Formats: sequence, C-alpha cells, structure tokens
Amino acid sequence: MDIFMEQLPIVVHSLNVGFLQTLKLFFVTLIGALPLGLLICFGSKSKITPIRIILKLFIWIIRGTPLMIQLLIIYYFPGLVLHNPIWGGGEVGRFVASAVAFIINYACYFSEIFRGGIISIPVGQDEAGKVLGMTRSQIFFKIKLLQMIKRILPPMSNEILTLVKDTSLARIIALQEVIWAGQAFMKGSQGISGAIWPLFFTAIYYLICNGLLTLLLGGLEKKLEYFR
Amino acid sequence: MRKKIIASIMAMTLCFSLAACGSNNVSADLSDSASLDEATTSESTESDSEGESEVAKIQEAGTLVVGITDFEPMDYKDDEGNWIGFDADMANAFAKSLGVEAQFVEIEWDNKALELESGSIDCVWNGMTLTDEVKSAMDCSNAYCNNAQVVIVPKDKADDYQTVESVKELNFAVEVGSAGASEAEANGLNYTEVNSQANALMEVAAGTSDAAIIDSLMAAAMVGEGTSYADLTYTVGLNSEEYGVGFRKGSDLVSALNDFFKASYDDGTMLKTAETYGVQAALIEQ
Amino acid sequence: MNILEVEHIGKSFEHTEVLKDICFSMEESQVLSIIGSSGSGKTTLLRCLNFLEHADSGVIKVAGNVVFDANDKEYLKESVVRKNRLHFGMVFQSFNLFPQYTALQNVMLAKQLQAEKLPDFKARKKEIFAEIEEEAKGYLSQMGLSERMDNYPHQLSGGQCQRVAIARALAMKPDILCFDEPTSALDPELTGEVLRVIKELAEQKMTMIIVTHEMAFARDVSDKVIFMDDGYVLEYGTPDEVFNNPKEDRTKQFLGRFIEG
Repeated sequence: MDIFMEQLPIVVHSLNVGFLQTLKLFFVTLIGALPLGLLICFGSKSKITPIRIILKLFIWIIRGTPLMIQLLIIYYFPGLVLHNPIWGGGEVGRFVASAVAFIINYACYFSEIFRGGIISIPVGQDEAGKVLGMTRSQIFFKIKLLQMIKRILPPMSNEILTLVKDTSLARIIALQEVIWAGQAFMKGSQGISGAIWPLFFTAIYYLICNGLLTLLLGGLEKKLEYFR
Repeated sequence: MRKKIIASIMAMTLCFSLAACGSNNVSADLSDSASLDEATTSESTESDSEGESEVAKIQEAGTLVVGITDFEPMDYKDDEGNWIGFDADMANAFAKSLGVEAQFVEIEWDNKALELESGSIDCVWNGMTLTDEVKSAMDCSNAYCNNAQVVIVPKDKADDYQTVESVKELNFAVEVGSAGASEAEANGLNYTEVNSQANALMEVAAGTSDAAIIDSLMAAAMVGEGTSYADLTYTVGLNSEEYGVGFRKGSDLVSALNDFFKASYDDGTMLKTAETYGVQAALIEQ
Repeated sequence: MNILEVEHIGKSFEHTEVLKDICFSMEESQVLSIIGSSGSGKTTLLRCLNFLEHADSGVIKVAGNVVFDANDKEYLKESVVRKNRLHFGMVFQSFNLFPQYTALQNVMLAKQLQAEKLPDFKARKKEIFAEIEEEAKGYLSQMGLSERMDNYPHQLSGGQCQRVAIARALAMKPDILCFDEPTSALDPELTGEVLRVIKELAEQKMTMIIVTHEMAFARDVSDKVIFMDDGYVLEYGTPDEVFNNPKEDRTKQFLGRFIEG
C-alpha cells in the first residue's frame, strides 16, 4: 500500500499527459470529421455519377478495412513507397498522421449517419421551403439541419462514445495516448517498473470522459425535445 | 464519363498494388534470413548506386532521429524528462561526433523495421538483440553489449526449474519476434507469443502461462521486490545474445558508428558511460 | 384582363401521361375549383403551377407575362424558378409546417430571409423585422389564431395547423393562392373551420385555385369549376354549368357517385 501511494502521483501525472493526447485526438477528429462527413454525404448523393461512384467506393474501402491498418498505411506509406516520409518521426508528425486517419475514417461513418438523417426528413419540408421562395441552402440550414440533428443524435452519440475509445488504436504508430502511458509502467518508466495497475487504471479515465459526454449528449437530446 | 470511371478504378488499383509491393518488400526482409548476406549486399549496392550518403543527409537535417522504447537502463527519462541511459548517452555522443543533435522518438517495438524503412527514424538504438530477423531487416553495427535470455517463473516454484531440461514441460509466454522467442524455438519449448516482454510477465503473474523468457537486463529491473511482480523470479539463463544498433539497409552510418565505438572504447569513455548505468560487465571489446 | 393563362400544359412521369393539353384561364379575384377522382392529374396540375414539377410542354402566363415556357430552358434555372413561383402561394394537404418553429415563426421565416437581401437591411434590420412580425400577427389573427402564435405545430390541432399554413402562404402576398386538398388530412369535425377561412378569403377577393373533394363547398365558393379526368379537362365552366348541366357522361357518373356516396 505504501508503494502504491508513492507511485500514484507519478502514474496519475503520466496518465494525465497521455489522456491529454487522447482528448486532443478526440476533439480534432470530431471537428474535422463532422464537416467532412457532411461533404461526403452530399457528394454521395451528387447528380454527377463519377463523384457518386468514387465516394461510394471510398466509403466502402474505409468502412470495410480496420482503422488500425489505415493508421499504418497513412503513417508508413509515404516513406515506404514514395520515399518521402512526410510526417517525420516526431510526436507532432505522429499526431497529425493519426488525426488524418481518424478524420477520414470517422467522416465516412458520419456521412452515412447524415445520409440516413436527411432521407428521414419528409419531402414536404423541402417543398414548403421551395414554394416560399427559399434557396436550397436556406432550406438546408434553416429548415432541415435542426430536424436532421434531432434525428441523428442517438446514433451519433453512439459513434462519439466509440471514438473516445478508438483513439487508443493510434498507439500502433506510437502516438503516446493514455494506454501507452499506462503500459509504459509495466516495462519500466520513471523509476516504476513492473507495475500492472496503471494500465487498468486508464479505464477510469475513459469512464469519466464518456460519462461526461453521455450527460452532455443526453442534455442536447432533451433540449431538442421541444419539437417533434 | 465511362473513361473517367475506368481511369479512377485503374488509379486505385495502382495504389493498392503499390501498397502491396511496399509491404512485400518489408515482409521479405523480415523472413528471408537465410539469404541474409545476399540480400544485404544487393540492397547496399542498390543504395550506393543512388549515391545517397546517410551521414550527409543527417548532417544536412541537423538531427539524428533515434527510435527507442522506455527501457531502463538503456533508454529512460530523468526527472527533467531528458532521455538518459547507456544507449541514450552513447547516441548523444555519436550524434555530437557527427555534428548533429540526437532526437529520441518512442516507437512501437513491433514496427521498428517499418519505422526505419519508411524513414520516420534513422536508427534503432534500444538494447536491440541481434537476431537473424533483425539482421535481415536492417544493417547493424558491431555488437556492443552482451545479454542473456532468462526464464521467469513464480518464486515458490523456482527450485524445481533450475535446468533447461526441467523447464521443458512448461508453457511459455514470449514476446513476438524477440530473442526469447528464438530461444524457445531453438530449445523445443511450448510457447505462446504475446506482444511485449511486459505482457509475457503478466501472463505468468496471471497464471495463464507457466513461465516466460525475457532479457536478463529487463528481468533485473522488472521482477522481484518492489515491483508488481514480487512473486516472480528468474532461474535458468539460456543462450547469450548481443546488442547492436540498427540502420537502414546500405547506410554509411553503420561504419561511422563502428568507428565511433572503436574510438570511444579505446579512449575509455564507453566503459565510463557503462559504469554509470551498471552495465560494464556486459560490455564487448570493440 | 386574365391574371392566369395556362396554355397546352402536358406532363408525363416515366411513360404515363398525367396531364394532356391542359388549357384554361382565370380572372383576378376569381375562385377556381378543380375536381375529379384520384389520379386524374389535378394535384400534378397544381404542382406544375408552383414549379414543384416542370411541365413537359406548354406555357404559363401571369398577368400577361410568361412565367414558364417548356421550350425555353431559361425557365428551368433555379433562380428564375424561385422568383416566378412567388406569384403563387401553396397550401399543402399535409400542412408541411416547420416543426422547430412556432406558428408565428413559421409565418415570418421566409419573409425574414427575403428581407436579408434588401440593400438597406443592415441599417433597418429592427424596423424591417418589426414590420414583418406585425404583418404575420395580422394574418394569424385573421385566421383566428391570435391565442396560438407561440405554440409549436405539434401543440396545435390539424385545423389550426392548416390555418397557420394558410397564414404562412398569405404572408408572401401571392397573386394566386393554391390549395391542394386542404381538408383531406383533417378529421371531419375540423374541416369546417378551414373551409370557413377559405370562404372568408374568397369574400375578400383573393384569387384562389382549390383542388378539393368537397363538392358542396366547391359549388358554393367557386366562380369557375374544372372537372378533370385521366389528365384531360373534361368540363370547364361556372358551377351551375358543371354541376347541373355537365356535357360529358363521365362527369355525370362522377358527380352521381358523389351524391350517392
């Protein structure tokens, strides 16, 4: 117990640093993947056939392969095949490569959720906007967007909670997120070696984070209950 | 319109085949240990013909990117967060001799060959055992340190397993691709591969494996009193191994480092550094 | 002078001809009812007037000006369509109110968006919005909804929703207001309030085209009646002509079934 109390502050500090990286990846992915997902969604409904086919193919590839492989390809492919390691070996490069992989991957999942949300809005809303002389963007932003958000919030919440946990995959390209930080103590780090408990301790971080997100998203759902 | 579709499909196919080529090369490098010499020579002539000197490239960049893991006493962080250890100190000195700075980057150990090959790091310098696999995947420096692989068992059973013969009935956990895995194979042991030496220890602690094989340097740091593995201990030492530094195929950094090792061994600085971290007994004459 | 002239309108979906050479005209302040069985093309005709569908052939003129000509691609451009469809207001069978806005906001929204295009919008924003709100409240009171302005659509009855939809269409000050079976989605006890409102509008000389199944109402309120069957205009005349002295057997059959049913 004494040893544990000695180790605790060191471990917690190290896990905090790791979790900051986890959160950074989470937020950057969210900020990037939401608009990109909307773009892909519009593109996959485009009237121009080649764009539609390419995007469908792209969504199929991204959703059909493991995120872990995508991380490896995005980080190592430029150096291995093009002989130009664009990301560099440092922490920043690894983070940027991870963010790119996560944004692309999640944008594809989001785009399908958006598509479902748009489809579920009755055509009457579109037509009512049109006969009142609204432009297409006015109809989307002033009429359909909020209704779409209300409908996609439950599947979106699911995907967002999954994203928090998925960030741990980035350690395959040595992004030092919270699980990496926890695992370091098994082997030995900062004078603590052979400690298993920090790895399991990381679960608490995910639990707290996802607990807060669940409250937040639940609150948002409640807020949108004022209309049907 | 149709032409565009065909063109885009072809472009994608090309991407995939390129990716496939790339990974083929790597896996060939990893598995093709028998034709090691051939591979090395052919690769080096190829690189030479391109006429790229890695030393010159690094001096131009101003940094030597060193791939490491957190591994006491070879590479670990001091209280201020600077990388120290026998390997880290030597890497700093080597970089200085080239007139550049060493930049330490933590890598996922399984991907060390990928990291090198893709150019995200310049060398692997982390108490790396010179196995056939390692030597086929990269060009390595002369060995600078001895290391043994040891068997880890629960303390209360240690007395029963003091010889190689006595451990043959046990189920082992070993790190995938490690020197320990090679030893398990060579001695005809039953073993399961896990993804790190630390995980191999956890297997024994959890009772899911009877024993593990890990580096002796690591064993000294990770098991026994004051660790989470107070109930484990190490017994039999298997074949002795040597540590070396790995570079990209055909890199002229290999000979530069060998010269540096020789010089610092001769002037005594290497021994002094080794004494700082208590590894002087394992040092190999250059 | 005719406010609306519809000349030789034709429309097909896939291989089915839905509208065949439709011609009619109407004068300002008139009420025109379009009757006919389901699938006769009356709703499609209304949707062509609002450009929710584009006719394959024919010309539409409002107050003598061409607003649609099937032979001229210019009239398919989104910006042109958007401008021309403002001659027409549209009240849908299923109301199509915007659920996230209150009754008042539903009526104001399009006007507010339009106002953003005004050159002096930034300077006079408050003033302009106050005017729009005043007007919107006026229309809602006219519909008997002054107590319901701040309710959301799901808090209103079907009849109230349809009256909000009418106020929303009126707010755009269309030359011609179109109704697509405005009472078909309502419970029988709620149809009365909507029909009463439409009748009041007729008394105020609003130009209207009403697609309806309410025969008694059509007869009562209309200046002209069109009977459509299988994409053709079979009868076109005063209510007396169409209801009491129909020319075609098909019309008699249809009206007979209605009176029996």
